[in-house]
Amino acid sequence: MSTINQPLTKIKLLNPTYPNKSTGIINGESSGLLNWNDIAYPQMYDLYQTLLANFWKAQEINMQDDIKQWDSLTDVEKDIFLRVNTQLASLDSLQTPTMSHVMDYVTDSSFKAIFAVISQQEAVHNESYSYVLSSLIPLREQNERFNQAKEDPIVKKRNEIILESYEAFRQDPTPQRLFELGINSINLEGIYFYAGFAFFYNLARQQKMLKTSTMISYIQRDEMQHAYFIAQFVRILLTENPELNTEENIQYIYKAIDHAVQLEKEWSNFILKDIEGINLEEFHGYVEYLANKRFRQLGLENYYPNREENPMPWIHVFSDEMMNETKSDFFEQKSRTYTKVSSSNGFDEL
Amino acid sequence: MKAAIIYTSVTGNTTFIAETIQENMEKRNVATDLIPVDEFHPERLHEYDIIAVGMYTWANGEIPIEMEEVYDAFETEDLKHTVTGVFGSGDSFFAHYCGAVDLFRDMLYVHTNLAVTLKIELMPQEPDLVKCEKFCDRLLQETLVIQ
Repeated sequence: MSTINQPLTKIKLLNPTYPNKSTGIINGESSGLLNWNDIAYPQMYDLYQTLLANFWKAQEINMQDDIKQWDSLTDVEKDIFLRVNTQLASLDSLQTPTMSHVMDYVTDSSFKAIFAVISQQEAVHNESYSYVLSSLIPLREQNERFNQAKEDPIVKKRNEIILESYEAFRQDPTPQRLFELGINSINLEGIYFYAGFAFFYNLARQQKMLKTSTMISYIQRDEMQHAYFIAQFVRILLTENPELNTEENIQYIYKAIDHAVQLEKEWSNFILKDIEGINLEEFHGYVEYLANKRFRQLGLENYYPNREENPMPWIHVFSDEMMNETKSDFFEQKSRTYTKVSSSNGFDEL
Repeated sequence: MKAAIIYTSVTGNTTFIAETIQENMEKRNVATDLIPVDEFHPERLHEYDIIAVGMYTWANGEIPIEMEEVYDAFETEDLKHTVTGVFGSGDSFFAHYCGAVDLFRDMLYVHTNLAVTLKIELMPQEPDLVKCEKFCDRLLQETLVIQ
């Protein structure tokens, strides 16, 4: 049996004879102690700090405006709002335990720490959907909506593929399955959320339910960094374990992400079809554009031709100014001493 | 004529752009030093006619902390006549796409002869390579104007 199909062993908590700096992200020798100043991939410290800088909690967002606006939404908008909310909550519910489960088999302590932060953030996302629901509808209706999400055939079909991969790793945690879990996790965090995001941001474009969209924007910011981290994790996993870095596995990535793209289109056809302001064909293009970005994050090539341009640039994280945050780090203060210049000042912007 | 590329990279995207620019400069017969930021010496900036600076941008569009020394050097050394360009990679889903390039641009415009800026989303693709060529053309064109 090839090593990539041999179960990973849970590493002991403390291994005093091993170095603090792990010799590998899986199957490595690591003492179990974490000193961020002595890690195998120093850039992981930056990523850890970036993730922590995102910290937020649902209760910081006052839902009063949205509560007042709720009754002015159309029945279709309300229905889709609740469907999307519970569907996203279902996805995040899977992600929290999976990320902490992976921790047991990763031997590099700095990666363990980042998985712990990601898991914590997924728990906050999960809670934030509950927080929105509790502001808008009674518990009885919330339960109905969650049951609906559990039974919806399209949602089920989407989730099954992810679940299969996550469960397979739980049953038999091999390097190959960890790799597959990583790709499915990118699909979950980096593709599956976006029909939902499009719905909420589209409402925001019409000045509707802005508090919910602020929360969605926080969630998107976190998710983007999670997908980014997982992509880095996969790249390092393939580099450190050349036996995983096969043509077959590269094809697995293209196939799995393409499949997720098709499923996201299918979900969007259902969920966004009656939503004013969203053109389905344009959204399909958007999903392909999005997937191209995921391929590039994984160090691969664009898969969908002519999808370099973002057809829906309004689906993006709110800027700090929009969220009324005040952030003053060294460079932001410093930059204000210079006037913003543009190509009209005699240089080219490519 | 001599050129330098000073850069920092985490995932390798910016490194790839930096190397592409170096190749293109060499192709145009300009000796070009590729300098990762940890090998950077402020006093050597004066040796070059052309300097390109490259970096990644994360999240809120700040300049990576390791580029601080480079930023300060451009402010304090007299490089008024040095032709410069700034390039970087980023992700357009963030509010300040390649924000670090913008911040460097505004400073370089004041303290140097800024010729060109270049932003690339994640791993460079075919159309981006054309932009890398243009980036070099623009730097050289500006140098000829001075001479």
